[in-house]
Amino acid sequence: MLTLTALGCAAILPSLHFHQFGESSRMARDAGLSALLIVGLAYSVFCTVKPYRREIESGTLQMALAASVSRPGFFLSKLAGVFLAYLVFAVTVTCVALTAVNGAELGGALAAKTGDIAKMYGPSLALAVSVLVLPPVLAAALNRFLRFRFVPTATFLSLVLAAGAAAFRFSPHLAARFLPAAVLLVFPAAVFMAAAAAFAVRWPANAATALMGVLFALQLPFLGDYYLSDALSRGGTVPWSFVGLAALATLPLVAAFALLGIRLFKDRDYS
Amino acid sequence: MNVIELNGVGKTFRDFWLRPTVKAVDGLDLAVAQGEVFGLLGPNGSGKSTTIKMILGLLAPSAGTISLFGLPPRARAARARLGYLPELSYLHPFLTAKETLGYYAGLCNLPRAVAKARTAELLEMVGLSAVATRPVGGFSKGMARRLALASALIGRPELLILDEPTSGLDPVSTNEVKTLVKTLAAGGMTILLTSHLLADAEDVCDRFAIVNHGAKVAEGKVADMTTSLQDFFLAKVGEGRTFEVAPFLKG
Repeated sequence: MLTLTALGCAAILPSLHFHQFGESSRMARDAGLSALLIVGLAYSVFCTVKPYRREIESGTLQMALAASVSRPGFFLSKLAGVFLAYLVFAVTVTCVALTAVNGAELGGALAAKTGDIAKMYGPSLALAVSVLVLPPVLAAALNRFLRFRFVPTATFLSLVLAAGAAAFRFSPHLAARFLPAAVLLVFPAAVFMAAAAAFAVRWPANAATALMGVLFALQLPFLGDYYLSDALSRGGTVPWSFVGLAALATLPLVAAFALLGIRLFKDRDYS
Repeated sequence: MNVIELNGVGKTFRDFWLRPTVKAVDGLDLAVAQGEVFGLLGPNGSGKSTTIKMILGLLAPSAGTISLFGLPPRARAARARLGYLPELSYLHPFLTAKETLGYYAGLCNLPRAVAKARTAELLEMVGLSAVATRPVGGFSKGMARRLALASALIGRPELLILDEPTSGLDPVSTNEVKTLVKTLAAGGMTILLTSHLLADAEDVCDRFAIVNHGAKVAEGKVADMTTSLQDFFLAKVGEGRTFEVAPFLKG
């Protein structure tokens, strides 16, 4: 649902032509990056807390720990798995947002040329159909006739179609500006995932989520370091060196929360 | 050589403020020798499952020491040599039977080819070959139980820990499990099991211990019993317990 929400937000962006702020694609770009940040943070919390708690509460954790799996190994493998799932989400939404920005520029140019403002809705419609409607429909057909699993198939098809849409009218100039800003947004999500995992092995889902809410409030002043949409205004860019520095600054936080999680998980009784 | 050794083991559960709430196991001494089938018997809430979870390293004992193959229970080298069937069949509902066994084969670090061959053999053994590609969430309790048993065996363990292995199984499947336990024991596997079905335990166990309120009240060899295990158990555990039907249910 979170993926669909983010994709839906991103797909309607080319239609938002009444708020251009001096640039035909400004609104699409700002909103695309916002969707990636806000929905991405929600995704990182829920999609981390749930798998850990489900393993603990359903008892499958007992079976895994009774086998020759070390507790730190289990904790970190699961964290790597949820991070991979988040990356699929982030890449899909980034591709859709990139296409939306492209579509907004194209629609703006068409509308200016023909004087027909309805031309701007075309890219939105095409995007919505390709990333929101086609994947579930195709996945349902594959599930019905070939017994493919619905959710993984729909997720995979969303990724493929979103990447295809982004490649269809690929603009290296736009990608060079947009991608660093999008990659930056992965870092706070990585910190959130490590923290959510640490809390989830110790406290029930509601308490762990509430703690993440507190962490979100504490992080708010620093989120501006990651959300740099303003830097892209009027042809601006975010240098990759800044992205590298942000990654370096993020790593200790991820490591600290991962170590906290391992510590909380190591000696805990699970029955 | 003893595969499992418990010396003065105790477990006290505590609440959030670390106040003791339940003393589940109290000063338990136990030794299970290599190659024997050992029955840990006791009424509900006697501490059997807690003891097993301490042996598996899932719970840390509050007192005493536990050794598994001469190592602490949380040592990976020790756990690599055991298979575990919990009291309830904890399985991932979205995985198929085949994927479930593949997952546990992965946890046992089995090579892919070995895992594939063992998966097919075990599914055949527990009678689930026909539903190998069905998600486990749709399985009946008995089917899930048989799959959990197959999961416990996929690593070809030296020690098999079975917590209520026949719970939820029909009489035919129960008989099959008993035959399986006897076959595995004949092959040299050490087996520790808990059961409420004392006649079943009597059929398969070499030795037994009876626990009540977390403490051992009796231990012995099944072959040395002069009465049935059921009578012996009732004499040891049922003493002093009364069951009065509520007045409103009478008449």
